[in-house]
Amino acid sequence: MSTRGDQARPLHALACLIFAFVLSFLSGRSFIRMHRAERIYPSPGLREQKRLSEYFLPIRKTQGDTDVFIFKGNKPGGNLLIIGGTHPNEPAGFVTAVLLVENIRVERGTILIIPRANASGFSHSDPQEGNPQRFYVPTPTGSRAFRLGSRLTNPVDQWPDPAIYINPAGQKLAGNEARNLNRCYPGRPNGSLTERVAFSIMELIRREEIDFGIDLHESAPEYPVINAIVFHENSAELAAMAMMELQSEGYEIRLEASPPNLRGLTHREWGDHAGIRAVLLETPNASHGRLKGRPSSSLIVDGRDKFYEKASKLGWLFVPYGKEGIPLAHRVARHLAALRALVSSFSELEPDRAIEIEGLPEAEEVRERGVGAFLHSSD
Amino acid sequence: MRFFYLLIVLYLSVHFVWLIFRSKKFQDQLSAVLVLVLLLLRLCLIK
Repeated sequence: MSTRGDQARPLHALACLIFAFVLSFLSGRSFIRMHRAERIYPSPGLREQKRLSEYFLPIRKTQGDTDVFIFKGNKPGGNLLIIGGTHPNEPAGFVTAVLLVENIRVERGTILIIPRANASGFSHSDPQEGNPQRFYVPTPTGSRAFRLGSRLTNPVDQWPDPAIYINPAGQKLAGNEARNLNRCYPGRPNGSLTERVAFSIMELIRREEIDFGIDLHESAPEYPVINAIVFHENSAELAAMAMMELQSEGYEIRLEASPPNLRGLTHREWGDHAGIRAVLLETPNASHGRLKGRPSSSLIVDGRDKFYEKASKLGWLFVPYGKEGIPLAHRVARHLAALRALVSSFSELEPDRAIEIEGLPEAEEVRERGVGAFLHSSD
Repeated sequence: MRFFYLLIVLYLSVHFVWLIFRSKKFQDQLSAVLVLVLLLLRLCLIK
């Protein structure tokens, strides 16, 4: 005699099937949302918006293609490239680029901004980190969500990683660095997606006759290259002038020369291959450090973490880290102050190629009122 | 190659739907549901 447990139950099975479809729908929707870039609301000063693929067609319709915002002044001057989101798990770099797009107007020269340099990296999260999919920045009319991505290109777009990666500049690196945009310069036209994105940015630099490039990053508080301007040797004087200006405003800032044998990075290959002045900026971000507690949107935005506070007391960090933490507003303000100092130093060194920006929020105001006060309100 | 790969995933999805109806124990059905979810996501979302 069969018992009830031995028999297949069609209704039970049907309920399971419906459950499977509902679960697939919900997780599928959440997955697809990671691939949708949040809207950026350019300021009225925007002259033109392009896609990176317009500089190198083969990345068109790939996850590597991304927006390029162009602000052009009425007076002739230099051409500046600012990129954020090279590493999509470094939110201050990306948010600073968004904040620039939504606020500035250029009076002299041209500024090109790429907020999501590695767009594919924004479409997934770092595995085994427990990171939130998004972080929420309060604005006057509600919070605005931004994706927290991964340092590396999505493996769905570029797979498999080699055992050892030899980058286009000839340096041997760990295999997963093949998906790190900031190791893939100057790129390869027939290479991997990340190498093609790097090549597209090099093409943009050549075709737009860029004079000066700034790459916005963040690093963990226990990492020595922090609160720093990393510069190519052709930009040593420029970086030193900017550092003096920043120090006179009360910002502690380090100068780090780009090591000639560390290849594939913006501050090395932009200078070597395109001959432009190149710097990279770093601010301290607890959310991608190794000593952090539970990752959350609040850790990114408020920047408070009791473990980092303790690590600071033990002298393990390269930046002061108190109870108040290092909020996103302070990190973005630091990037803005550095940008202002770098642009003014560049204009001083090359008066014929000077760049004048209007509407750039004051760093002190961003620290006091928060980043959201300078971002377009949420829809 | 991609076509055959998708064909295999499709076959496995159908196979797991069939398993849900054929399984006699709830935990077997649940396991089949979870694998089916992964297969459906692979089939529909990852291009």
